[in-house]
Amino acid sequence: MTRTKLACALIALTAAFTAPAFAADAAAAPKGDAKAGKALVYTCGGCHGVTGYMNAYPNYHVPRIGGQNYDYLVAALTEYKTGQRNHPTMRAQGESLSDQDIKDIATFLSSLTAK
Amino acid sequence: MKFAIALLSVCGLAYGVAHAETIPPEKVKEKAATCAACHGADGNSDTPAQSAYPRLAGQYHDYIARALHEYKSGERKNPIMAGMAAPLSEAEIDALARYFAAMPGKLDDLSKHEQGN
Repeated sequence: MTRTKLACALIALTAAFTAPAFAADAAAAPKGDAKAGKALVYTCGGCHGVTGYMNAYPNYHVPRIGGQNYDYLVAALTEYKTGQRNHPTMRAQGESLSDQDIKDIATFLSSLTAK
Repeated sequence: MKFAIALLSVCGLAYGVAHAETIPPEKVKEKAATCAACHGADGNSDTPAQSAYPRLAGQYHDYIARALHEYKSGERKNPIMAGMAAPLSEAEIDALARYFAAMPGKLDDLSKHEQGN
């Protein structure tokens, strides 16, 4: 076995053992601070807190985000922050948020249930 | 001549929109089975492993349809959803969006959550 192959095998082996551990950590890790998230979410209410509120050009309802899944919310906000998702209003919001803010918001929103 | 062609295409388009094929409910359910792997059969992506996927149950149907259109056009980039949305027709997008929007779930707008509950 060449040195490269050996290195590859070693990396693969390490990854195989550490990946499940990472997954377990992610599940157990404290997410964000719901209280801080609640304060930040005040801004969201301008659009997401108005029942039936429509996005303009093109016209469609702004999504219901209360009760949405934590990891999806983190991904969505991060994608707005980085510009991978390009809705202008949401990009501006995303850019103003730190990674911790995003976690806090996602923690609060995912804790809600439909009334 | 050009005007006649333009008129014909407008009429054709209008006809297409007005007479969009309707998909029978059992066909919609069949299509939605593909979505269930990540979004749950009830549209709630309820298991911890499904937390990365959005809940669809109770979402506005036109928002779901919009997302599918964006995945299809590539405006919204997601390798999994690009593959899912690519073969869907307009009528299928609309039917699937309505199918999941009509399901009961946790999703809510924020109007009733001022107190953080």
